[in-house]
Amino acid sequence: MFKNYLITAWRNIIKNGMFSVINIAGLALGLMSCILIMLFVREETGFDKWLPDSERIVRMHSAYYVSGNPPFETVRSAGNMMEAIRDYASNEVEEGVRLIHFGATVRKQESALAEQITLVDGSFFNVFDLPFVHGSAQTSFTKPYDLIITEDIAIKYFGKTDVVGEIMTVCCVGPEPSPVPVTGVIKNLPDETHLELGMLAYVDPKIIENNAGLNTWTSVNVYTYFKMRVGTSIQQLQERITYWVNNESPLLDMYLKNVGELAPGAQISDNMKHKLMQLEDLHLKAKQDAGNMGDLTPMGDHNLIVTFTIVACLILLIACINFMNLSTARVSHRAREVAMRKVLGASRSQVVVQFLSEAIALVFISMILALILVELVLPLYNLALGRQLELALFTDLSLIASLLVIGLLIGLGAGIYPAMFLSRFLPADLLRSSKGGESSTASNLRTGLVVVQFATSIALVVCTAVIYGQTLYAQSVDVGYVSDDKLVLNVRAAGDNRDRLKHELLKLPEINSVVFSSEVPTQDNENNNTFTLIDGEHVNGENPSVLLNYHDIGYDFFEAYGVKPIAGRLFSLDFGSDMIQFEGRKEGDKGRANVILNQTAIDKYGFTSAQQAIGKTLDTNMANGHLMTIVGVVPDIYFRSIKFGVRATVYSMNPNRLRVASLSFNTSNVSQLMEKVEQVWKTNVPMQPINLQFLDQMMKAQYAEENIQVKMFSAFSMLAIVIACLGLYGLAAYTTERRTREIGIRKVMGANIKDIVALLVWQFSKPVLMANLIAWPVSVYLMLTWLESFSYRINSLWLLPVCFTVGLALLLLAWITVGGNAAHVAKANPIKALRRD
Amino acid sequence: MLKLHNLSRIYRTDDVETVALNNVNIEIGQGEFVAIMGPSGCGKSTLLNLIGMLDSPSDGQYYFNDEQISGYSEKQLAVIRKHHIGFIFQNFNLIEELTVAENIELALLYHNIPASERKEKVDEVMDMVGIAHRAKHMPSQLSGGQQQRVAVARAVVGNQGLILADEPTGNLDSTHGHEVMEMLRTLNDKGTTIVMVTHSPAHADFANRTINLFDGKVVTESVRAA
Ligand SMILES: Nc1ncnc2c1ncn2[C@@H]1O[C@H](COP(=O)(O)OP(=O)(O)O)[C@@H](O)[C@H]1O
Ligand SMILES: [Mg+2]
Repeated sequence: MFKNYLITAWRNIIKNGMFSVINIAGLALGLMSCILIMLFVREETGFDKWLPDSERIVRMHSAYYVSGNPPFETVRSAGNMMEAIRDYASNEVEEGVRLIHFGATVRKQESALAEQITLVDGSFFNVFDLPFVHGSAQTSFTKPYDLIITEDIAIKYFGKTDVVGEIMTVCCVGPEPSPVPVTGVIKNLPDETHLELGMLAYVDPKIIENNAGLNTWTSVNVYTYFKMRVGTSIQQLQERITYWVNNESPLLDMYLKNVGELAPGAQISDNMKHKLMQLEDLHLKAKQDAGNMGDLTPMGDHNLIVTFTIVACLILLIACINFMNLSTARVSHRAREVAMRKVLGASRSQVVVQFLSEAIALVFISMILALILVELVLPLYNLALGRQLELALFTDLSLIASLLVIGLLIGLGAGIYPAMFLSRFLPADLLRSSKGGESSTASNLRTGLVVVQFATSIALVVCTAVIYGQTLYAQSVDVGYVSDDKLVLNVRAAGDNRDRLKHELLKLPEINSVVFSSEVPTQDNENNNTFTLIDGEHVNGENPSVLLNYHDIGYDFFEAYGVKPIAGRLFSLDFGSDMIQFEGRKEGDKGRANVILNQTAIDKYGFTSAQQAIGKTLDTNMANGHLMTIVGVVPDIYFRSIKFGVRATVYSMNPNRLRVASLSFNTSNVSQLMEKVEQVWKTNVPMQPINLQFLDQMMKAQYAEENIQVKMFSAFSMLAIVIACLGLYGLAAYTTERRTREIGIRKVMGANIKDIVALLVWQFSKPVLMANLIAWPVSVYLMLTWLESFSYRINSLWLLPVCFTVGLALLLLAWITVGGNAAHVAKANPIKALRRD
Repeated sequence: MLKLHNLSRIYRTDDVETVALNNVNIEIGQGEFVAIMGPSGCGKSTLLNLIGMLDSPSDGQYYFNDEQISGYSEKQLAVIRKHHIGFIFQNFNLIEELTVAENIELALLYHNIPASERKEKVDEVMDMVGIAHRAKHMPSQLSGGQQQRVAVARAVVGNQGLILADEPTGNLDSTHGHEVMEMLRTLNDKGTTIVMVTHSPAHADFANRTINLFDGKVVTESVRAA
């Protein structure tokens, strides 16, 4: 029986060569898109699930809300939290651990390489049960700074993994460069983790106690993880923590002392939130808690995953519609076969099974083709995404299972309608007319499905165009400073040699200027502090205390970046010292320094003009207490990424925080320049790795994620159009074939080729026009919502011409698709068409 | 073998109602060879389709081997059909994608017969109708007469006791038409009941009873003296 089905199916495939090719090609392209997206989604959603007990591990995120200031959100937390909560909520918490990340350098022979080192509590392996290659959780962390490294790091530095007892020279886990012994080697972590752990160093609580940045309830410098006890839910622990924050923690007292009264009815936990998030959710959902700061590794985007899953489903829908349309269109060809099978005793269900098996067989042929296509484009796809996705067809059981399920579902989904449709008729009906029962409902339904296909394609293209436009726009925005021809050199490692380095660099003829700062544009920070107008002066009724984002800059910084003051002056040696003072102050005395504010900050204080702010003084607890005089006001520049907008900012000059140098150059031979700079670095800062980047590349990197999304959207919406057009072509070819007789008669009656092509083309223009009417409002609504999330966005009026252009382009495409075939048929000799029965 | 009692069939399309059969009463016994005649559109095919259970009556009773089958489900009807009834059509209705042998085998596919036995039976009937040398050909490569012989073979390969033939010679020239009639007579001689629609009085003469239909009603019945 099955053999017979297969024979019929196969001969039908061969006989209807073109339709089969269209069917299989369309489905294969659809499946390819779907598999590519699935590989990405599977990796993104599979993060950290492999960690033992991952469902019991949570991380605590912090969010501070101080009225009148932007919320401060981060996935980190304060150093003192972990122990306090672990001990208080001991019924819920089994163990807790802090991770403190910092960049270090490790010596390798005559050079030094940059590495990330993570300081962790001794409880680390009780929370993260990572497998050891050498050493063990019990033996490897016994004294401070004991070092556990991954296999990769071991091989990088020693060429082998059996390195327990070897010494690494690291700067600076402890107070200064020091040899530390490797006490254990762990397996490399898989790609699917939000953790970044190459080197783990053990810190004991004493070290934390003695470190001001860690021994704190409010400064967020550590990542806090808890492993909950079996049976505890995240809500239970969350409630417990909230209770502790309100009733047991020192947070309320600190808030009352430093900020002021709580709003009536509010609790301290409303202002200082400590939110738990499940380990498995971190990669995709941490973004919602992360504010403007990142996570340990680049964060995924939950919305993006949902969006692309929807896109995959839409593309599959378009491909399935092709399949349904072409199958039902060919009903008449199969009607006699179905009728005869029924006459000969086949029941309806047997006919349904036959056609479903045929559909499933076709889907699996397409699937094989799709897998081959995926293998072919995967390297390109990985390149575009910056991933190492693999199609592990023979080892990944869940992948195989999901492919099988997808194949079956599509086969059933796309096959059930044709199967039910064909098997429905009484055999007498089918036999009566040799052409079979082509009802008007069936062809209306087909037209409806074509409308759905094209509406989906048009909507996808419109969205892609808008996303593309917005991305380009965001990158073309005037950031307010000159970013061309600048190299950014991290000079933290140069220490006291910083000025000599500058001196030597300036000797290079290509270098115009070298200026220092705490960050360069694009390097976000969350350094915020309260600055109060002296004597609590209320300007125009505004609060005199404002939380300002602060950057430190050296002399000539704004000059190098082409930023001109709108009032007052820039920092200059001509006016004595603008610098923050650390030396020569009596205990309890406030230091004096000068600062520059940006326009937004001026507005916050309520000044009506920039000039009004000049000479006013701000009081702050920064740098052991300072009075800072406003000497200049600069326009708002996008120091941060455009995504985050402009903050109220103060620029001060703290010599201890000048960690990066901006090098303005005037040559086009950049590789030679890089070499020269490196040479200068090597001679002045020996044994330290250089960290040198182009500013414009750093700016581009901010949009890396968006650019990837745009690429993906473009590629997949193109595919959707190709698939939809394939289907339209098949349907048009089929319809013209059916209408040859009619066309013959029309020609005999005197219609010319043009009339006939117009007739056929118009028939297929209608669904495309209708598709526009559906797609436009839907995509406009979606894109308006999407654009709302950008502070800097394209004018929404642009949506109209975009919709119009896309609609027109697709209409043209449909004409081209249909027209060729129509012209061919229209030219045929009518006698031939009429003679044929 | 079968008995139609007050059988009616009304076609309802959007706005027209066609009474194709109107209170027809017919009884056909085992081993009979019945010809049905009448002008085009009088309901002959409708009658044959009802007898063959390819269509359901609008009203009346249909007894097949003393079973009242008008209330049967499609599935039950399919079972009776495949065991008892063979069909021959004017336009042959062979499946174009299948070879001659596969077309004939189709009639056994829904019978749960092992493949080897199926092949035996197919070979046997192909010999009988003289089409064995064309077993691997496609229908489109055969003449009309040959195609109809394949259809006859397909109708009898399952040992069906009743053969329904709707203008089996309508698309054939007289020589080929005669051949097919001879074949039907041979089958009838061996005990197969045959009901055949025809326009040709000469071919009606092969039958031992002729029913004349007009406008959905039986008008005359004539039994030919043996
Ligand atoms: N499926 C149908 N729908 C509507 N009318 C039908 C259908 N089949 C047959 N008829 C009508 O029923 C009448 C009898 O048809 P039919 O049995 O095919 O006649 P005959 O076979 O005697 O030429 C005709 O008027 C025909 O138009
Ligand atoms: Mg008829």
